Amino acid sequence: MIKTVSASPHITNPRNTTRRIMIDVLIALFPCFVAATVFYGYHVVINLFTCLVFCFGTELLYGLIISKKFSREGVKESSVWDLSFAVTATILALNLPAVMTVDGWGVNALNADGAIAFSFDSVVLCALGSIFAVALVKMLFGGLGKNFANPACTGRVFLLIAFGTAFSSTASLFADELATTGATWLGTRNNVTGSMLLDMFLGNTATSAVGETCVIAILCGYVYLSVRKVIDFRVPLMIIGSLAVFIFLFDVVPGTSGADMFYSLVAHVMSGGLLFGAVFMATDYATSPNTFLGSAIYAVGIGLITALIRAFGKYPEGFSFALLIMNLVVPLIDKYILPRPFGYVKPVKQSKAKASNGQKEKEGEKA
Amino acid sequence: MKKPTFKKGIHPPHSKHSEESALVECPTPDTVYIPLSQHIGKPASPCVAVGDKVKAGTLIGKAEGLGANIFSSVSGTVKAIERRKTPTGACDHVVIENDGKYETEYLPELKDNSKESIISRLAEAGLVGMGGAGFPSHVKYSPKKTVDVFIINAAECEPYITCDYRLLVEHTKEVLKGAALLAKALGLDAFYVGIEDNKQKAVEIIERTAGELSLKVTVVVLKSKYPQGAEKQLIYAVTGRKVPVGGLPADVGVVVGNVHTAFAAYDAVENNTPLFRRALTVCGGGIVEPKNLWVRTGTLYSDCEKFCGGAKDDCVKTISGGPMMGFALPDTNYSVTKTTGAILFLGKEEANTLMPGPCINCATCRKVCPMNLMPMYIDAYALCGDFASAKRYGAMNCIECGCCAYSCPAKRPIVQSVRLAKRMIKEKGL
Repeated sequence: MIKTVSASPHITNPRNTTRRIMIDVLIALFPCFVAATVFYGYHVVINLFTCLVFCFGTELLYGLIISKKFSREGVKESSVWDLSFAVTATILALNLPAVMTVDGWGVNALNADGAIAFSFDSVVLCALGSIFAVALVKMLFGGLGKNFANPACTGRVFLLIAFGTAFSSTASLFADELATTGATWLGTRNNVTGSMLLDMFLGNTATSAVGETCVIAILCGYVYLSVRKVIDFRVPLMIIGSLAVFIFLFDVVPGTSGADMFYSLVAHVMSGGLLFGAVFMATDYATSPNTFLGSAIYAVGIGLITALIRAFGKYPEGFSFALLIMNLVVPLIDKYILPRPFGYVKPVKQSKAKASNGQKEKEGEKA
Repeated sequence: MKKPTFKKGIHPPHSKHSEESALVECPTPDTVYIPLSQHIGKPASPCVAVGDKVKAGTLIGKAEGLGANIFSSVSGTVKAIERRKTPTGACDHVVIENDGKYETEYLPELKDNSKESIISRLAEAGLVGMGGAGFPSHVKYSPKKTVDVFIINAAECEPYITCDYRLLVEHTKEVLKGAALLAKALGLDAFYVGIEDNKQKAVEIIERTAGELSLKVTVVVLKSKYPQGAEKQLIYAVTGRKVPVGGLPADVGVVVGNVHTAFAAYDAVENNTPLFRRALTVCGGGIVEPKNLWVRTGTLYSDCEKFCGGAKDDCVKTISGGPMMGFALPDTNYSVTKTTGAILFLGKEEANTLMPGPCINCATCRKVCPMNLMPMYIDAYALCGDFASAKRYGAMNCIECGCCAYSCPAKRPIVQSVRLAKRMIKEKGL
């Protein structure tokens, strides 16, 4: 019998697979999903289901068309089974408001109280976002690991820009003051009180994306991912830390004074997509740098751009934009920030070595 | 106390199933096939003809240029000189029919125990680095730079392999005396033994025996981690010196020797026996009885397999060498050489037969690379043919330890891409 012949190493860690990583991320996202459902109702479940179905379908169909294998075999070999579509779908669903209504369409079923019972618009938008995220952002660039921008984030930004009015944010089911309905703190920038901060921490507040509401749920996911070593625990901390520093300089110092400064700073950290994005989206493997120094630059960049948009921009929240902009810089970061190999010695004659390297490159080009 | 080690690396299961089985003689078959290339450098040129009578220890291949002498391992008649496959390619083999008498021809007695005569004896007895690379010893132990540290590499960090451990436990005196001889060849009177902390028994025996023999031995107990036994990592763990990129250990005044080489040096100097047999481990979940064997060179792998009860039905991979850096073989029709440290038979459960998926850029390979490279980019650039970029990400500094591929969640054969990149960079002169 002829045995299997392959390159070394011949043993591997069988528990460590791509699917295992994706399942870990899904587990970490679960508390956020539960919190979102508790605070915003069953609409979240419908959205998630729609996103899952359309992400799965798009990736499967795309794979089948590309491989031209419309058979059981083709489905079996499809890339959907690594479950990365589920991560994209879940993050996208948690990144959208619970109910989105588009002006002019407004196909909604109302219940007896006049509230929206089932929003057909939301389903359409979720489907559009999913198809956009998976087909255009992920699969067109070569599938898992090849995309240069975060698919879920791009899907959200697409919906936000194309159907802007649909993103008027939703209030928590438990919100007692109707006045605050539909406006996040980042939109109003009211004076912050202690009870507001508590509500933000628990999630009982208005947000423009359901997943980012409960800080406790996000922290659970963060701890889980860090313990399982799926993400580098320092990256979210660096993003949040740098945002805190920059927002303090740009927004808190000019706008407030005294104890309000502290309240305002904490409110900035806890509201918007910052925490959710820092933990689940900025740590996306394909679109983040591969070295620690690179990650630090990336993290500080996200913090800085988010702070700039929040302080001076027209949009109340800018995390998604900041993330996408820094995604574009990642290939550049990874090109120029290299780790020093073990036993690295500084070249003595740097100018000379450079000159000869340059010559070689030129020769290579000619050849 | 924190044990000395290197940065990064991985923790594969030790799987040293054959740890407690003592070395036993493997019966030599009726015909042996002795390869003329068992070392780095030029193959030895045959100096026997078909029909010649030889004894065990008769010179059959003479070293030319950088190379090592090859000796017959049995007494009998030369049947043929034919080209056969080796795990890494093919070379001429001397086929000898075994007469079963095992008459042995010894080397002449050494005149004195001086540095020069030890080195000449290493060349005469055909010694090579027996850890796997097979670099001719007489060249290694006469370095052009001054050396002040000699380390015996007893780390044996590869899973499954236990033959060095058995040698250390069963033949402690010979190994230590041999190591002292090698140290003497380098002009030193003391040496270090670098050993992983999962071999506590060997540590005690070495320390006790060194005291009895009054040798200046420093045993450095290292953390059990792969690749602790890689030359550069071992040197860093034991001495704290970093071998410069592209340099040799001698550049930082260190020479690293293998346990088995030390044993062979003792045999060659004290017993005048040339190198024609070695200890090796037959192990893995796919073999009936894992064992440590004394095998004469030229014995086929299939003979060792038979002696260990044969391969099980679920054995999917046969490997020459360790599971991390060895070569997978389609069958067992290969000869044991001076550098064969292990023959592994891996079962379905342990062998990696998974299909590679796309890289997800998780940077796990960078996190475990003991050389601090970026394997994911070397892999990506090598596969799309941009070898200059592969070099930029450190392809030439790779030691091919396999940590990256072991820990890759997408199961990418990164080491293979690195080998491709290395070869193409050399060919294109980038």
